[in-house]
Amino acid sequence: MKTFDPVTLATPFFIATVVLEIILARLRILDARYEAKDTAVSLFMGLGSSIAGLATAGASFAAAMWIYQHRLFTIPMTAIWAWVVLFLLEDMTYYGFHRLSHERRFWWASHVNHHSSQHYNLSTALRQTWTGGVAGTWLLWLPLSLLGFPPAMVAIQKGISLVYQYWIHTEAIRRMPRWFEAVFNTPSHHRVHHARNPRYLDRNYAGILIVWDRIFGTFQPELDEEACRYGLVKNLGAFNILRVAFHEWIGIATDVVRHPRHALGYIFGPPGWSHDGSRETSASLKAQWAAGQGAGPAEPDRRAA
Amino acid sequence: MNQAFLIQTAASAAAVAVLVGLAAWAKIARPGAPLDEARALKLLADDFPGRTVDELWVAVDGKGAMAKSGATALVLCEVGDGYVARQIPWAQALAASFKDGRITVNLADVGAPKAVIALAAWPPQPTKPPHTDLAA
Repeated sequence: MKTFDPVTLATPFFIATVVLEIILARLRILDARYEAKDTAVSLFMGLGSSIAGLATAGASFAAAMWIYQHRLFTIPMTAIWAWVVLFLLEDMTYYGFHRLSHERRFWWASHVNHHSSQHYNLSTALRQTWTGGVAGTWLLWLPLSLLGFPPAMVAIQKGISLVYQYWIHTEAIRRMPRWFEAVFNTPSHHRVHHARNPRYLDRNYAGILIVWDRIFGTFQPELDEEACRYGLVKNLGAFNILRVAFHEWIGIATDVVRHPRHALGYIFGPPGWSHDGSRETSASLKAQWAAGQGAGPAEPDRRAA
Repeated sequence: MNQAFLIQTAASAAAVAVLVGLAAWAKIARPGAPLDEARALKLLADDFPGRTVDELWVAVDGKGAMAKSGATALVLCEVGDGYVARQIPWAQALAASFKDGRITVNLADVGAPKAVIALAAWPPQPTKPPHTDLAA
């Protein structure tokens, strides 16, 4: 079956723009940093993701088709209003998916690899999950088919969202025009999302429209006085691609085996949750940071900065 | 898997190889001078704000550092053009194996199982105590 797949169509654009970003950075025309092993991991994660996605693509599409057969309304794929409504609903669904993927460890385990690079460049955008299908987050999009949007239409809109989110993974663009920054997700907003500074943790979950973060209270602008430090709260110690793909799943399994009575907490609690409070969650890190801010600066000659 | 997908995947793999080669050729990783005490403390402060460093040992090759913070060891290790930091019990750091001028520290973490740091000796000899607060 021939289908319109925005991601496949955009792949040559992805490759060309990574080449462009590297060459322009080499010529010092724009600001970008690439480390070869880091780039390799990002790109092979992207390639692997497209292969791994096949494993669950059939099941997820079949589920969407089954749901669609029990739809509440019949929404025409050719109507412009339908695309506008789908754009908004899909983007809000993406916000929910993305927030869940950061705030609950089971889904973080499949999403963490996207944040595992200490770099932020166009190749980082392609560092995609291998286990998203298994994590079942595709279930979140089924209500759209229940409403009456054809599954192919939903798939196309998901693809458009993914393609949109590619170009915002760059340090080369500092700020877009103010009106654009107010409405859309931008490189600046998404740099915050990829930052590991406590102030920036768990912020800016948007796909295309940043307005969802503004509505739901998770928006954080990028501040000139606090540069983004990229990666994970606990960065990975190697460029082993299998470790990148599976380390959090292994961490969950290890914790569940060691502490079976607290299994639910280790699986569905926030990343960093522990039964004895010995680890740090985003919330605790942000609280510590906020307390440090409130306490005022330390004596200058004793600061590590 | 149909033939078109296999061709597409093979072409993508070739493109990835070219891009990685280009990234290596461009030499646009972060410029990183070997760690000195000040930079090691700065990096530790990023990861462990508010912690006090009692003693600090910077790797002889400037690619890592070990700090004592109370009963905890703060470990810093170079990965690519970045750094990875972990905290472990001080006793665990003391138990690190030392061979050929390098200690191998078991970090007991699936994300970063071990750190290898070049130090002159281990277990450490007391040095001047920086006693630095890693304030946020």
